[in-house]
Amino acid sequence: MEAPPVTMMPVTGGTINMMEYLLQGSVLDQSLESLLHRLRGLCDNMEPETFLDHEMVFLLKGQQASPFVLRTRRSMDKPGTPWHLRYLGQPEMGDKNRHALVRNCVDIATSENLTDFLVEMGFRMDHEFVAKGHVFRKGIMKIVVYKIFRILISGSTDNTEPLSLSYLVELSVVAPAGQDMVSDDMRSFAEQLKPLVHLEKIDPKRLM
Amino acid sequence: MSGVPSVRISIESASEKHVQEVGLDGSETYLQPLSMSQNLARLAQRIDFSQGSSGSEEDEPSPGGGGGREWPGAGGENDEEEEGLVKFQPSLWPWDSVRNNLRSALTEMCVLYDVLSIVKDKKFMTLDPVVQESIPQKQNPQVLQLISKKKSLAGAAQILLKGAERLSKSVAESQENKRQRDFNSELLRLRQHWKLRKVGDKILGDLSYKSAGSLFPHHGTFEVIKNTDIDLDKKIPEDYCPLDVQIPSDLEGSAYIKVSIQKQSPDIGDLGTVNLFKRPLPKSKPGAPHWQTKLETAQNVLLCKEIFAQLSREAVQIKSQIPHIVVKNQIISQPFPGLQLSISLCHSSNDKKSQKSASEKQSPEDHLYVLEHNLHQLIREFHKQTLSSNMMPHPASAPFGLKRMRLAGPQAFDKNEISSLQPSEGLLEKIIKQAKHIWVWGFLRFRTARTIDSLASRIEDPQIQAHWSNINDVYESSVKVLITSQGYEQICKSIQLQLNIGVEQIRVVHRDGRVITLSHQEQELQDFLLSQMSQHQVHAVQQLAKVMGWHMLSFSNHMGLGPVESIGNASAITVASPNGDYSISVRN
Repeated sequence: MEAPPVTMMPVTGGTINMMEYLLQGSVLDQSLESLLHRLRGLCDNMEPETFLDHEMVFLLKGQQASPFVLRTRRSMDKPGTPWHLRYLGQPEMGDKNRHALVRNCVDIATSENLTDFLVEMGFRMDHEFVAKGHVFRKGIMKIVVYKIFRILISGSTDNTEPLSLSYLVELSVVAPAGQDMVSDDMRSFAEQLKPLVHLEKIDPKRLM
Repeated sequence: MSGVPSVRISIESASEKHVQEVGLDGSETYLQPLSMSQNLARLAQRIDFSQGSSGSEEDEPSPGGGGGREWPGAGGENDEEEEGLVKFQPSLWPWDSVRNNLRSALTEMCVLYDVLSIVKDKKFMTLDPVVQESIPQKQNPQVLQLISKKKSLAGAAQILLKGAERLSKSVAESQENKRQRDFNSELLRLRQHWKLRKVGDKILGDLSYKSAGSLFPHHGTFEVIKNTDIDLDKKIPEDYCPLDVQIPSDLEGSAYIKVSIQKQSPDIGDLGTVNLFKRPLPKSKPGAPHWQTKLETAQNVLLCKEIFAQLSREAVQIKSQIPHIVVKNQIISQPFPGLQLSISLCHSSNDKKSQKSASEKQSPEDHLYVLEHNLHQLIREFHKQTLSSNMMPHPASAPFGLKRMRLAGPQAFDKNEISSLQPSEGLLEKIIKQAKHIWVWGFLRFRTARTIDSLASRIEDPQIQAHWSNINDVYESSVKVLITSQGYEQICKSIQLQLNIGVEQIRVVHRDGRVITLSHQEQELQDFLLSQMSQHQVHAVQQLAKVMGWHMLSFSNHMGLGPVESIGNASAITVASPNGDYSISVRN
């Protein structure tokens, strides 16, 4: 089977050239409540929402050394919502002037036969997990606090076990490329969450 | 005396016997003179040994030193000899005290000798000059203690005094003015109603409706000030409040949205200023208003500004057949030809200039309060919409946005479906629609009522009854019209009409389900009602003929040629009397 043409270039289609600005941190389970309490105070005046998502990561190995990764996510607690297909580019640490990790990102809402489509295209599932947590919003900033659950039997989301004793905290903004000012807002917001959680730009390459 | 130093005169007491007692007979009993040894013992007893130690050390050696040298050998022997005696009569022996003193002196001498001999070696003991400060050291702590005690006592006294002063002051204050409230409790109360935050040493509050979903860019910040410029000695005014608020200058004063409908368009030249500062300000009270009312008015000004800004933006954007005009603080639109809807923002500030102009202009009150109220309601709906459209994304990684818009891709919406998702009507369109209805409702309804009434009063035979319903929609109201003949209400109920007065038209629903649409022209309704009445007459004749036993020869609802008119054609009936002698034909 011939591999479909896949480019490793950042996806720049038409007007869509969005970047995700990201800060990450984590809290232990014990301090989750106080973090949520503070987030309720800081974020927009909306009902706090929980989510339960199932994420699957698909790989496509072409001639290139590194595979092409796509992430699919579906909401388990809100049936009827479209699936979410996401491409994330290579994260750039940037210099000190930029306070957040930046990566290319493409978001697409899809129908639920997405996995079949991807498998037909030659993708194969690399790993999957369940994310359960809370989502907040402040302006264009999105704050998600969630715990990752390991799926014990592949394909079945009924049997899960928590991966760790802590919650992952992510502060992200999706903005057109070049708008580095948003990272200043993110930094000042992250400052307000200290010392409950220290949100930093974490280079995934260093952790490998 | 100094002239004869060489001559020594020794004076001795006469060796007379001391008289012990004189008897009654004059005989004298003499004391036996002391023997030499007795005398010596007496003298020895008199020696004050302590004198030497306390007195000068130079005097000591002559009496004691001589004795000291004389006696060691003999003293030591005496001691040993008389130890036995001491045991038996220690106090009676006259030399006892001398011996004791000498003995202690000897002990001391021996100790001194030993010490000196040790010191001489410099091995085990050395002598150092003693610093003579033991006495002041002893005194100092006492003095210090005294001073510190004094100080702390004074401090305590001061605190007590201060407290007492404050207490008495507060008592006096509370007696003088019970409504006196302190800044902090006022701040607490302010905090319960308004959003506050601390920036530096200032306390800033938020007037805007942003948290309620407003997108108006005005920051709407006010500052909380502590009102300190009062004298405690003076009598505090009744409405004194320790907390004051400073609102932005452009939000000061009071504002309202004025909506009116006029028939003919005024000259464009004086547009915009007509309604400026129309309402004279109510006489402000001598004191500053309470912060709550101050903030509420300021917030109202902000809301009015937002409504007006939204309306004028829409007025410019929306393309209608007759363009909307935005001049200064007025928006003019023409819902019907020859009719003018004007929405204006009246903002009266507190300065005297505007008050002057306010007193000059007094135009008749032509407010449409319902519309003004509805404008406020609409903007709040608009706010709510922006809030509720901010749905949280599910799954959580998805971007923000409308959920239904996200569904558009996967479900392959077409253009019509997508455009139906967009918010369709703006504030201005809605209010114009309402204004049209108000016009129809207020004027057309009035005219409808007037038409019906005039017909009812003019025409006696078929009676017209109109039942207006009290409950109305914003865009619709209805009236039920019954046409009856007096005295025959029971047998003839042919015509019952339901008139729905909508925005631009009147929909008439017949009892048989026919729907006729009339325009807002007065004449049309009148014609229609007249034709309905004539039909009723024909129906009444028909019913009456039945009751009276007349034979109906013919009946037609629609006479003449051509298609049936919507409001109904002429109808005719022919009836014959029971015996067939007479026949009547009625045609309307």
